[in-house]
Amino acid sequence: MLVGRILVVGGGTAGWMAAAALAHKFAGTKLAITLIESAEIGTVGVGEATIPHIRHFNATLGIDEADFLAATGGTYKLGIEFVDWARKGDSYIHPFAQFGESVDGVPFHHQWLATEGAGAFEDYSLPIQAARRGRFRQPGGDPYNYAYQFDAGLYAKYLRTYAEARGVVRREGKVVDVALDGESGFVRSVTLESGETIAADLFVDCSGFRGLLIEQALHTGYEEWTHWLPCDRAIAIPCANSGPLAPLTRAAAKQAGWCWRIPLQHRTGNGHVYSSGFLGDDEALEVLLEQLPAEPLADPNRLRFVTGKRRKQWVGNTVAIGLSSGFLEPLESTSIHLIQVAIGKLLDLFPTGDWDPLDAAEFNRAMALEYERVRDFLILHYHATERDDSEFWRHCRNMTLPDSLAYKLQLFRDRGVVVQYREGTFLEPSWLAVYLGQHVTPRHPDPRAGGEGVAAALAAMRAEIAATAEAMPRHETALGMGA
Amino acid sequence: MIRSIGIVGAGVAGWMAALALGRALPGARISVIETEGPDWSLGPFGPGEASLPGFESWLADHGIEEGVLLRAARGSFSLGTAFSGWAGQEADWFLPFGTIGAPIGTVAFHQLAARLRAAGHPLRLADFSLAAIAAASGRFARPSADPRSVLSSYGYGLHFDRTGLAETLRTATGLAPVGRFRRALGDAGITAVEIEDGTQVSADLWLDCSGPAALLAGRLDSGWESWAEWLPCDRAVESWNAVEGVPPPYAHAGAFEAGWQRTVPLVGGQSGALLYASAHLPDQPGAVPIAQGRRTRAWTSNVVALGAAATLVEPLHGYNLALLQNALTRLIGLLPATPNGPEPAEYNRLTASEADRVRDFAILHYKTNARTREPLWDHARAAPVPEMLAHKLDLYASRGRLPVYDDELFEQEEWIAVLDGQGVRPRRHDALADAIPEPQLLAHAARIREVIVDAVRGMPHHGATLREEGLLA
Repeated sequence: MLVGRILVVGGGTAGWMAAAALAHKFAGTKLAITLIESAEIGTVGVGEATIPHIRHFNATLGIDEADFLAATGGTYKLGIEFVDWARKGDSYIHPFAQFGESVDGVPFHHQWLATEGAGAFEDYSLPIQAARRGRFRQPGGDPYNYAYQFDAGLYAKYLRTYAEARGVVRREGKVVDVALDGESGFVRSVTLESGETIAADLFVDCSGFRGLLIEQALHTGYEEWTHWLPCDRAIAIPCANSGPLAPLTRAAAKQAGWCWRIPLQHRTGNGHVYSSGFLGDDEALEVLLEQLPAEPLADPNRLRFVTGKRRKQWVGNTVAIGLSSGFLEPLESTSIHLIQVAIGKLLDLFPTGDWDPLDAAEFNRAMALEYERVRDFLILHYHATERDDSEFWRHCRNMTLPDSLAYKLQLFRDRGVVVQYREGTFLEPSWLAVYLGQHVTPRHPDPRAGGEGVAAALAAMRAEIAATAEAMPRHETALGMGA
Repeated sequence: MIRSIGIVGAGVAGWMAALALGRALPGARISVIETEGPDWSLGPFGPGEASLPGFESWLADHGIEEGVLLRAARGSFSLGTAFSGWAGQEADWFLPFGTIGAPIGTVAFHQLAARLRAAGHPLRLADFSLAAIAAASGRFARPSADPRSVLSSYGYGLHFDRTGLAETLRTATGLAPVGRFRRALGDAGITAVEIEDGTQVSADLWLDCSGPAALLAGRLDSGWESWAEWLPCDRAVESWNAVEGVPPPYAHAGAFEAGWQRTVPLVGGQSGALLYASAHLPDQPGAVPIAQGRRTRAWTSNVVALGAAATLVEPLHGYNLALLQNALTRLIGLLPATPNGPEPAEYNRLTASEADRVRDFAILHYKTNARTREPLWDHARAAPVPEMLAHKLDLYASRGRLPVYDDELFEQEEWIAVLDGQGVRPRRHDALADAIPEPQLLAHAARIREVIVDAVRGMPHHGATLREEGLLA
């Protein structure tokens, strides 16, 4: 039996991204794609901030950038600003670009570390310098990348229009029952509140945290990571824009978590991610309201989550994508990215009807690695801190790290070497931005670094970057929003 | 802080290390110590050596002109390796340096090919590789830098004799050997090496470039992991045949009942290495035993084993030189900043991982062989393989997918070229390939062939290029 019918359970960002990508790839075939969603069930709309991979996703679908930005209130994003993480008063930016250039064949960061008076590390990043000035320009030939910040609800709508135009059938309704095949354990059909039954060959579970199929029906189990990432609540409130539009997502550390600020064209997204073990819900709201830059535009939306991942994300004929597959807090804007990676791997390993268990095994292997490597990167932000001003931070400083991260951190601390790998989202420049941004300073410089003429080469690099950033247009101008 | 480096072995590995380390640490004193016998620093695999694409940039980065090396070392160009007798006693295939075909959208070419095969159109992947077609017609020109041109779709390796290569590298270092190795001193590490005139040479860091003899690393507790259960050849015989005329622009690996024969064609002759399993062939004149495997800890104490002293693996493709090149880059990025630092552990982790993936690539040729009624080959086909390779093979056999792990030297395309050449056909193909109408696929394939064949027709013969560059009279 060939896969002829796909049922996506759940709309929202994950559901419509999956439906749009499937519809695009299988355009012109007999594959029938249906998506069930219920207007009664709210969507989380995670990840209004993204990383540059989203551009590839949109480009593959043939989405025009200007059209997409207009439809989603989108803005350009050159990085994430981290405020107060290692020490109160700190600010550093994680850009989507490498820092500086190697000198005498020695990697830039070694040269910078070995050179006295070489200024700040961020002086060597064009996107950071542009972001600090509120400026943006398409990279052209310059070696940096960018992402977007947008209204995830509007993005889902946009993709819904895209998907429906390509044959995806949207069904309104709430799933009340799931029928499994007695022999194979595969999902055969779902029953809606109306009593109608919808059968399919492949089920994509985009039902959010509860995992309607992957967990409630298939009991896959969940691997919890709260001992490393203790935040388990979030409150979100949009507010009006005020001041210039930053081409940046902001993540400011608080006493038991952190607050996000995401500037869109029509509003600013705000939220507070915190740990209920260290902070009450009312206090958490106060923390968020205190730092709101303008009047709120809506009531607070409260969320609960358990950080971790589903033990398997593909079981039988069900593939979990989005929050049903796991949750990692949006500190590095990875929520939409993880959706995208899962969609890409599903397309790569798209079942051909004989359901070779190897497909699921490879999907689960690759996704687990992806999740674990993002997880390690997130833990680094909490652990590499000198903050001693709350129980929460003392807990983070003293926690036992996963071995994989302890090894990476030790190697950088001793020797300034970043552990590199092929599979995974964040590469050397990202790790450098966070290590150095959080004052993880290598004890021993590279023996090759700091030769004659290095200081002059660094000064020239710095000057050129500052001049180039200064010449860029303002972010609003780049978006065509007028003055 | 490293102020002095001692290198044991004045062959290809030793001089390459001296050149690379000398550039990275201009203030360090480098002492190169010769050893007895032929240069087996990359293994006893013939007087000629083959590189993968990328070596030419390494040379340029280290101040060596490609032409200078080729003139000194009977050099010629390579577009890949021809394999005969592996996919069955009479079957041939080619592993090219370069891309094969072109995708449609995100659907890989080999998936399109699988779909066409399923529809009854037999085709071979290598027929869609410019490097393979050019090699078969004896043509060679350097690739184009214009990414829009099909002439940018391939790379090239170099063939040269190891004596000329070692001498060219040495000249570039401006150094001469300090003497000949007599013995090493020290137990937990190497404190000094005594040379034949009785002088004791000391160094902060020692590089063991002495080949399988591993004169330094072998004295330390560095461990050895044997690959004999998967790679059955345990003898090698080197040879040299003088041949006039134009060398073909590719290396050759020809399987026979008890092993295989490597040929690296040079200007004026062919470098040969016969590799065989002693259990299946009586001992041949000139045979030397080889123990394939890798050192558990290539860097132990103050000794880093490089080349065949670290990893000894039969040279099915030009990866031994690439392993050495990567080891040097890795070592330079991890030069110890303090005694007892974390560098050796990270170096060993990466080195072991890379070597094991190359091991898997070599085992692949045995596991997927189709020679029948010959005990060595029948056994190799049936025997289990390491787990990560097994996962790759299973996934490929199932649907033509091939995961590429961390620290892999070879990309997906090379693995697929070998699998396809060996006749492994995935049971299913990518569902996305079915979304493309058959006539469009056929037109796509025909167009690629046409563009490649046209481009190859316009390429000079290998001999003409060699003459043009003064490499062949």
